[in-house]
Amino acid sequence: MSLVAVFAEFRRDWAEALRFYEEAYRALREETVVNKGLMIATSTRLPPVQRLVEIRAVAEQLFFKISTLLLHGGKVEEAIAWFNRHFNSYKHLVGLDEVSFLHWDWLSRQFLVFAELLETSSAAIPNTLSSHFGTPESSLTEWEIQPAYYYQLAANYLREKRYCLDNLLSTGDSEFSRTSGKVPESVMPSVFIGQSARLVEQGDMIEVLPLSDAEYVQYALSEAQRFQDSYEIIALFRKACESFTNLKAPRLASLCSNRMAKEYFFTEDFTDAKKLFDTVSSLYRQEGWVTLLWESLGYLQECSIRLDSAKDFIEYSLEMASLPIFANGDQEIPDSKREYGPAGLPSQSRREALQSEVLSLVRGEEIVSRTDRGCSIAVTKEQPVRIDVDIISPLRMVLLVSVAFHDQSVKPGSPVMFTLSLVSQLPCSIEVDELEIEFNQPKCNFIIINAVEEISAARSNGDNQDVRIETAPSIVLPTNKWLRLTYDVKSDQSGKLECLSVTARIGKSFKICCQAESPASMEDLPFWKFEGMVQTFPTKDPVLSFSGQKVIQVEEPDPEVDLILNASSPALVGESFVVPLTVIPRGHEVYSGELKINLVDARGGGLLMSPRETDPFSSGNHHVELISISRMGDDDESRIHSDKIKKIQQSFGVVSVPDLRVGDKWSCKLEIKWHKPKSVMLYASLGYSPNSAEAARVNVHRSLQIEGKIPISITHTFMMPFRREPLLLSKVKSLPGADQNVYLALNETSILIVTARNSSEVPLRVKSMMIQSNSNKNETPYSIQHVGGVSADDSLLVPGGEFKGVFSVRPKIDSPNLELGSVCLNWNRDLTLSDSEDSGVVTEQKLPAVIVEQSPLVVSLEFPPHAILGIPFLFYIKVSNQTNLLQEIKYSLGDTQSFVFCGPHDNAGFILPKMEYVMSYKLVPLCSGSQQLPQATITSLRYSAALNPSVTATTIFVYPSEPNFFVADNEKETILAKLNL
Amino acid sequence: MAGTACFIIVSKNDIPIYEAEVGSAAKKEEASQQHQFILHAALDIVEDLAWTTNAMFLKAVDKFNDLSVSVYVTAGHTRFMLLHDSRNEDGIKSFFQEVQELYIKILLNPLYLPSARIASSHFDTKVRALARKYL
Repeated sequence: MSLVAVFAEFRRDWAEALRFYEEAYRALREETVVNKGLMIATSTRLPPVQRLVEIRAVAEQLFFKISTLLLHGGKVEEAIAWFNRHFNSYKHLVGLDEVSFLHWDWLSRQFLVFAELLETSSAAIPNTLSSHFGTPESSLTEWEIQPAYYYQLAANYLREKRYCLDNLLSTGDSEFSRTSGKVPESVMPSVFIGQSARLVEQGDMIEVLPLSDAEYVQYALSEAQRFQDSYEIIALFRKACESFTNLKAPRLASLCSNRMAKEYFFTEDFTDAKKLFDTVSSLYRQEGWVTLLWESLGYLQECSIRLDSAKDFIEYSLEMASLPIFANGDQEIPDSKREYGPAGLPSQSRREALQSEVLSLVRGEEIVSRTDRGCSIAVTKEQPVRIDVDIISPLRMVLLVSVAFHDQSVKPGSPVMFTLSLVSQLPCSIEVDELEIEFNQPKCNFIIINAVEEISAARSNGDNQDVRIETAPSIVLPTNKWLRLTYDVKSDQSGKLECLSVTARIGKSFKICCQAESPASMEDLPFWKFEGMVQTFPTKDPVLSFSGQKVIQVEEPDPEVDLILNASSPALVGESFVVPLTVIPRGHEVYSGELKINLVDARGGGLLMSPRETDPFSSGNHHVELISISRMGDDDESRIHSDKIKKIQQSFGVVSVPDLRVGDKWSCKLEIKWHKPKSVMLYASLGYSPNSAEAARVNVHRSLQIEGKIPISITHTFMMPFRREPLLLSKVKSLPGADQNVYLALNETSILIVTARNSSEVPLRVKSMMIQSNSNKNETPYSIQHVGGVSADDSLLVPGGEFKGVFSVRPKIDSPNLELGSVCLNWNRDLTLSDSEDSGVVTEQKLPAVIVEQSPLVVSLEFPPHAILGIPFLFYIKVSNQTNLLQEIKYSLGDTQSFVFCGPHDNAGFILPKMEYVMSYKLVPLCSGSQQLPQATITSLRYSAALNPSVTATTIFVYPSEPNFFVADNEKETILAKLNL
Repeated sequence: MAGTACFIIVSKNDIPIYEAEVGSAAKKEEASQQHQFILHAALDIVEDLAWTTNAMFLKAVDKFNDLSVSVYVTAGHTRFMLLHDSRNEDGIKSFFQEVQELYIKILLNPLYLPSARIASSHFDTKVRALARKYL
């Protein structure tokens, strides 16, 4: 039948071929069943062992054909179902014990072949297949179409084969080996599938002879021995592992890795085994599968003995001993070596045994490997073992250290309570010989010694003479119970004091160093978190357990030096403001003192400058500037020696302070200049070493807010001379209020009144006021003369008081933009102090530019300074023509209630060039008091501009009768004298 | 009753909180660790499968030789995993349902911290009795 199928395949008739192969397979299956029933009796052609081998080989061939055809047809599910059927029908055909390894070998090969077939035809697997896995119509899982699944099983069966083979060889007294003794030579596969034959050479003739079963078994055994099954197994597992990792199935991959590691372990490749076990155990550790972790750690323990690493051995053993194993574990079966691996069954007694084993190891005994008696490790004085435990180490279960200071900050030199708490999850109590506590300030380190060990240990540690040694009655850590030790710690060095680690010494040459943890930020132990065990606090005080820290702030010692900063009044812009600073030692002597001065904007922002503003008054852009720091009381007012000034910048200065004894006094002046009104914080900090140059530095800080104010505000006004009004055409034409420009008439004298007002809170003294021209003095396009005002030099200006200067201005050129220069006011503070004899401060303010133009007509009014009720007086209006043209004017005078007048109400006239036209009126006042003269309007026809004299210019005081002034003689003289001047 | 079975309850953060060998006698070949290894690896498959179906009882999700893994996922994503060789699906389903009742009783205990190990000997006895009854 199989021949028909082969022929069909040859013809590419796949369906037909498949049908015949299936038929052939079924026939073979039937024969097998029959054979199974009559096993030995019907063995006609071949002995039973070889018969079985033959049947398996034929079945394999047929199945290979069937599955290839199915897979190529894309019928994956069918192929897998076929494979399961094939596997189920042959898996029990183990045969005799002696040849069972052949069965496992064969099974393994089936899986391997199928996996390879699946892999090669994986392109043919439709994607839609994966969608209905796990649904009722498909009994397959997604994993069953993965070649990795079959590779892994192939490896498993190969392992099974190896076990059988090993068992067989180890017993060594197989009947076959005894009976036949010798392995038959020149055995080769016969022409029929699954049969073997022996070649016998007889001269030239080569004869093929059938083998007996015994001979065949011998042959198979020798063949099997030649194979390195382990490598095959590892390769298969690796393939499966990689493919599972790619499929993001870490647990399946780790199962493969674990098996692979065991295989390495079996082949005594301990380095590779350890590496793999390490990765596997980290997954189990992370997921909390204690039993699996226990098993892996058991292997790791054994690996580290064989690799002669005492440190690893101790680490693994301690971790195992502190694992929370399931309490309801099974009873240990004595003959369970293969089943449980080297670690044995996880149980409480095993944990205890492990702990005592490790403790005896660190106290000097040897540990012998369980698998190889020749291998052993020991901890000696020459090779001490030190284990580091950090916050992610699994060994936190073994020893967890929590430290807490009872306070958050402490003064230097004063003791602070410090609680050290230790807990262990080891199954038995553990006794520690010595605890070494390490801080970030080495001077604070100390050692706690078990009182029992005290005498011998203290003597032996000769090199640690300067380390503080404390004794404790006993340092024994019971299981899951905090051991709390409280000591005083004293630090002289200010700053942070942090407990770094605690090292426990057990035995002479074993140390376990734990990173210290704060109780406030301590994390639970991952394995023990969910155990139903008693939870206790690391410290007696529960508050401390929630908030305690392993860090404490050691404060600076209190300064015993006075630093006095004084500023009597607000600073004024422009002056060099002096702030006296005094250092007076009270309890400390000052050595290598250093004074730092810092100016900071009081409203925040830090910097005292604005990069955008360009300030012509200051050298830089600083609004406030520290100019100098000078010693007070120096006769020559000289600055401090240049070597003493370390640095002065615009807002920062450093000055060294000489050594001072108690009772001495040192002071200096800080000179600060304001360019802009600004509120400034002045920080002064003195750093010094008290009492000796080496001692820790102490800092004194003082600050002072100083307000910077504008001392004087300057305003000015331009006026025309009394009762004189030039016609300024552009001024008349310009819209009222359109611009604030000042118009001056060319070659006419104008009056400039400058008012300086003291806007500060201190009395000031004005030394002089002048107008300074900006341009060259010889070619000023105008003349300015100081004509009056509050005259006296050094006049006192009380807060709010005003100082007025009167200047006459006479422009000489016609210019639309004439610079008049700036007002310079020289002032100083009205201080009676002797040391303020400075030249005064100059406040400068620029005058705005004026427009100068020729005025064609100038009107001046003339009338007496006062009038008397009922007495007539003359009122002249004079209009002078400044041009070379004939000017026609119209003029009018309005009526008022206060005056009667004679003269024309409205009239017109002509003025010759450079001539004057005079209109005269006679007025009689009718009311007394300050009275407004009748409104006069002069209109120039040429310029069509009207000119109205201002109200102030046309006001006159009318006395009801002739006034009489009585002046004493001597006063009269004074007045006369003044008038003469 | 089945020849061998290993029963494990896995909490929602993948940590085993209860384990029991509920077979009549552990086979010589395969020890408890071996079973746990298989069950642990099967978690990967359960992760995939649990979200594809509404059913709590996932039938044999994984096979290892002649052993298969059946899983029951509770609403709180606690997984009951059973490694067994019997084919009695109904029995396994009833077993899981009864164990869930027991588990809920444990959860109702105010002193029991969810995801903590189940250390109750009463629970252990009951589970073993259920295993004898159904498996």
